Amino acid sequence: MTEPPLRTGITGLAAVSALGRGAQAQLAGVLAGAAAFAPVRRFDVGGRKVTTAATLADTGSLADELAGVIWDACAGLSAGERAETPLLLGIHGHPDAGRSAAATTAGFATDLAARTGLAGVAKVYTCACVSGSTAVADAAASIRAGRSGRVVVAAGYLVESDQFALFDAGRALAKDGAARPFSSGRSGLLLGDAVSAVVLEPVGAQDVLAEVAGWGRAGDAHHVVRPDPGGRGMARAIGAALRRAGIGPDEVGYVNANASGADGDSAEATALRKALGTERIPVSSTKSTHGHGLEGSGLLEMVVTVLAVRAGKLPVNAGYLGADPACDLDLILDAPREAASPYALTVNAAFGGANTALLVKAVA
Amino acid sequence: MKGIGELTAATVPSGTVPPPVPGFVVSSFSPLVAAAAERCLIARHKNPPGTEDIGERTAVVVVSGSGDARMAEHVAHMVDDGARIGPLLFFQAVPNSVAGHVAARWGLRGPVVCLCPTGDPKAEGLAQARLLIDDGDADEVLVVLVEQTGAGDSAHALLVNEGDLP
Repeated sequence: MTEPPLRTGITGLAAVSALGRGAQAQLAGVLAGAAAFAPVRRFDVGGRKVTTAATLADTGSLADELAGVIWDACAGLSAGERAETPLLLGIHGHPDAGRSAAATTAGFATDLAARTGLAGVAKVYTCACVSGSTAVADAAASIRAGRSGRVVVAAGYLVESDQFALFDAGRALAKDGAARPFSSGRSGLLLGDAVSAVVLEPVGAQDVLAEVAGWGRAGDAHHVVRPDPGGRGMARAIGAALRRAGIGPDEVGYVNANASGADGDSAEATALRKALGTERIPVSSTKSTHGHGLEGSGLLEMVVTVLAVRAGKLPVNAGYLGADPACDLDLILDAPREAASPYALTVNAAFGGANTALLVKAVA
Repeated sequence: MKGIGELTAATVPSGTVPPPVPGFVVSSFSPLVAAAAERCLIARHKNPPGTEDIGERTAVVVVSGSGDARMAEHVAHMVDDGARIGPLLFFQAVPNSVAGHVAARWGLRGPVVCLCPTGDPKAEGLAQARLLIDDGDADEVLVVLVEQTGAGDSAHALLVNEGDLP
């Protein structure tokens, strides 16, 4: 007789963003809908067209912050349990790459696993804004197939000078100091710190905060950086997540969207309508408060989504000025809404047309 | 658990100057990926661009320990010198971009994944391919291994599917 597939539980989590340190700071920030954008003080932004981002004061290095969230997420594990737990890491690369030939990304990951007492590095994801979410999907797939036990997934980005300069040069940053997902008058994204970690393991091993009930990954095959305006890749990723969970769109109670305030938000709106049909599911993008955390974004947004559905409150889509007919969605505006379902989707997209969808289920 | 089978493979050896790719400047990283992918896909599917049914469930996995080292160095120098940065550099800030270029050219609509190996790059790339196929999000996977090192820049591409290799 075939054993049923193993379910994946989230048994620990931690996060740092401009909303603050720790899980409760993230939840309070996204529910308050108070955007954390402010003038950048961390590095020189002279000569940049945009000088705003969501940065936390007194952060340490990326390695220090990643180590901090890993320690916090693993608080329920003994040293022996950590020593049997591999790390899946999502990062842009070694923060000193480009300035030091000795700064290797693999070395950064290996050192991080060693200093946090983990059993080495399983994989390092460098797939831009779907790094953390792809790592979660892969981990859940491996656990479901019985090929993996407990793992730690961590992902991080701290706003720094080089990516800021590139996004500024690409005219991707919002000129008016606010990220306005799905809104009329939106002018771009704003970068934000995003460092988080989760412990994933087969359900039953520990007390579970939430399950990763479904996941999907799909490509647009459309453009180097622009999303498919038809939203087909993202819709397929969402469809795969729902199929793996064995639920229909009517059971999904919330979508934490990828939308960043860029033109491409309309493509995501199309994808959500395509994948979820006539269901008017509450939607917001928490990037409107903590900014776009690039390689750290997918995991931070999953953490925030888990916290929200566990609290029974759905975050606000901040920065909203008015309706864009191309983004016809049931947006959560003005105040948090009560969660009507334990199931929530968190959706991410990246350069290269990469899309991921993670479906989480809160566990009481 | 399924195994893996190699359908085609192609190498762009060190010392080769790959054809330029529109929109990708400064570094050989993206042109190397594109060239290796092109040779590999032509061997399998003949002339590009592919039709929709060629790549509907084909994933692209880029594996690189160095990452786009030339690009990272260039941007760091520009930032440190306070020089103006051209908008094209934005589009190639991450390895996903050239994966998207290949995917769009050939209609590859499977997952796009980029990895930095901590061990053997080919083994990690094939393990990722096996995971995506076994999990059901892809039937075929284009794995591109690319490195920029002091010894030279090179790329190797493999198109794999479910097969007999462990």
